[in-house]
Amino acid sequence: MSQTFMLEPEIIAAAANVLPDLNNDLVLAKNFLKQQSGATGDTLYDHMVDVVHKILSQKPPDVVDNFEQYSWQVKQEKFRPNFDLLNDIYLAPSQLALIRRMDEMFRLVASKSQRMEDVGEEEQELDLEEDSLRPRIADIIEHNYYFRECGYGLSEQECYAVYIALNMLAIKEPVATIRFFGKIFGTKANYYVAETDLTIEELDRRIREFEMKDMPGEGEGGEEDRAQEIEEQKEMMGEGEAKEEKPKEPVPPKLPPIPESTWQPPPIIPVERPGQGVNKKTYYVCNQPGEPWVCLPDVIPHQIRVARLSVRCMTGDLDAEVITYPPFEGTERNYLRAQLARIQAATSVSPQGFYTFGSGEEEEDIDLEEGAGDMAFNPNPFYQGHTLKDLVDSNLTYWVHHGRHILKQGRTIWWNPNAGLDEAVEEEEDEGLQPMEPESGPSLFTPLSEDGRLEGQNAWSARVSSTLVPDKAVAYLRSNIWPGAVAYSTTGKKSECMYVGLGLKYQPPNFSPLQLPRPQEEYAIGPEVMEMADPTFADEEAYRIAHLPPPPPVLQGEGEGEGLPEEEEEED
Amino acid sequence: MNVHKLWEYKEYVNVNGKILSNELISLLQNSLTLLQVENHFAYVQYWGQFHAVDTDYHIAVGMNKDAISDRKYFYTTDFKFWGLLPKAKKKYKHLSLLTTFPFRGDPSLKIKILDEALEENNPDRCQFMKEENRIAATISNICEEAEICSRGQLIKHPDSTVVINPNYYGLTASEAKLTKSYLHIRPPQHRWNTNLLTRPDYNYSMDFLDSIDQDIPNGCWNLSLEQNGSIVYLKSLYWPGMMFFHKVRTPESGFLYVGNGRKNLDVPFLL
Repeated sequence: MSQTFMLEPEIIAAAANVLPDLNNDLVLAKNFLKQQSGATGDTLYDHMVDVVHKILSQKPPDVVDNFEQYSWQVKQEKFRPNFDLLNDIYLAPSQLALIRRMDEMFRLVASKSQRMEDVGEEEQELDLEEDSLRPRIADIIEHNYYFRECGYGLSEQECYAVYIALNMLAIKEPVATIRFFGKIFGTKANYYVAETDLTIEELDRRIREFEMKDMPGEGEGGEEDRAQEIEEQKEMMGEGEAKEEKPKEPVPPKLPPIPESTWQPPPIIPVERPGQGVNKKTYYVCNQPGEPWVCLPDVIPHQIRVARLSVRCMTGDLDAEVITYPPFEGTERNYLRAQLARIQAATSVSPQGFYTFGSGEEEEDIDLEEGAGDMAFNPNPFYQGHTLKDLVDSNLTYWVHHGRHILKQGRTIWWNPNAGLDEAVEEEEDEGLQPMEPESGPSLFTPLSEDGRLEGQNAWSARVSSTLVPDKAVAYLRSNIWPGAVAYSTTGKKSECMYVGLGLKYQPPNFSPLQLPRPQEEYAIGPEVMEMADPTFADEEAYRIAHLPPPPPVLQGEGEGEGLPEEEEEED
Repeated sequence: MNVHKLWEYKEYVNVNGKILSNELISLLQNSLTLLQVENHFAYVQYWGQFHAVDTDYHIAVGMNKDAISDRKYFYTTDFKFWGLLPKAKKKYKHLSLLTTFPFRGDPSLKIKILDEALEENNPDRCQFMKEENRIAATISNICEEAEICSRGQLIKHPDSTVVINPNYYGLTASEAKLTKSYLHIRPPQHRWNTNLLTRPDYNYSMDFLDSIDQDIPNGCWNLSLEQNGSIVYLKSLYWPGMMFFHKVRTPESGFLYVGNGRKNLDVPFLL
């Protein structure tokens, strides 16, 4: 084809007198189209060739309406300058880091199960005593299936990965039972939380550590130290004043006494022992399944109290600092642990009768005194299940809490602050610790109908998962106070709860931070410190005249000259 | 999200702990397709759910030609009858932000609301609002503040109609990590050339909406990459329960809101 079109120079050279030729116009037009654009080096001609080529090969529908877009896309695809003289390195897909971790995890779990198989059946019988070595992992795949029926839960991919990760946790850490608590969202990364019971040996070890730390006497010893310090300070001041008085030359004005702070920090409420109360379960978190699980430290009552008064979103980094008012001591891992404790206490629910104290036999006396308030409860082997209608009843009488309520103090078992401060009470009369009434909260296994209503709505909303197939339907409860907490129960014997959310409580209408306390008085109010107006000149004169020394007595022999002036004076 | 693709998107929706169960998807597909046929909509999307005290509302959107202005919202409680929601009036939008009581479940319920910002004698102080209007107003508020799309998904034709881009190839992996690549679906509030000037590769037909990284405060959009970095999820802290996902390098994306319809006013404290 190219032979029929002549090149431009030839045309011009040929003859100027040649009649306008279709060929000529065509060539001119084509040359115009082939002009290179200064910016991209592209020609319209090439571009249109590409566009038509692409349209014909891909045959998109309705191109004429979207032609501009299409043309733009062709341009985009074309622009690939090959300035790169280096060899192309292989860019692994971005998922590689994560995949490697998951791979490690899979291998670990596979090898463990391989070992179990290799051990063989006969030896497994011998292993019965060591059965406790094999931790019981809650079957989250099954629970997730039921949660999905209700419209909550994790995606299947996630769920399986988490299940394998829980297996890995069981292998690596000394835990006896594991349950998947849920997922907490963070701004940079999420947390997957596992709730575990430690093995007995591990628990003993931690209790021993805990008690050893407690030996130097945190509560009382601290106070003694402080009292000593105050005395020492007083001595120092006494010496200071004495020293001041010795050099007599520049007599410093007598200063009012230096103000002393009369504020006493409130008594430190002791932590609950690991394995008891709020710290009954140990929590492990990780950011992605496949990452090693990190154990969260036990929670201190003060942390719970501060967490109640503040609102914060997790960032995903366990060592991020937590800036709140009142000041929170600890990093994000402590804050996360405190929130988990609150969520677990408030949203662990199950159908009535699912759990029971003791071994599930006929009623045992339940002591709710100090130590016994912490009794362990177990799944009830005689649990029969309730009907769907009962479970979905909006009065919620058939569901009970199985998480212990956290008192205002921050513990689940009341600790009496008066118990340890007998000596201090006698010294300081101002403090007058009134005998405090023990705080009490709802006891374990109270039905949900006792939960406070919030703004005209129950604390929990009950729903059925399916209206089309009522036989297979599952009842589930959705919390309105901790959005994200759900619990399900089938009419059979299955029930579970889970939390997926931001870790924030529902606070209508919105949250107000704690007010700062008023500034304390520095000096005791007294005439030395009070502001008064300075005396005016008239006042000072009056003062001086009023306090003049009495006139000297007139001497008799001095003559009347002086008497006269006196009389004159008196006349004045 | 597009109703015909719910089965594929089922696995992507799981971010806030809320997923769509099989039964729900089946019912939705059936009834929304019927709705689409009745009303001759070009697209029908499932918008989300509101949790109310007695029952839950499900909301759907029907779109014709213009993706921004030609939308109609429908609600239902039992999937058999979809009611058309009235257009949200400004007065109701303001009032719905004030109410803190949850939705009741009965669309014709009238609530009395006290506007404490106005003085005592103002006749507008105490107003009535029907629940239907409240739903419409809440949806309108959420859409204005939280409904987003990725850049390039909606394009503006030279005759200023906005349509869903049929040739959309999705964001690239690096673009997807920036909040700048996501735009609000609403009549733009910033100047027309704000967005154009901030990008080196501006495009008149794609950059006509506000980008979400201008929202105050800075961290109120939570962007995360899941499933090995191939899906981007965006959540707004102002409306907890709102979720937008986008599969990188594909045109798959969707928006869903599941929650109780209350705005979260504590965002500055959270960050």
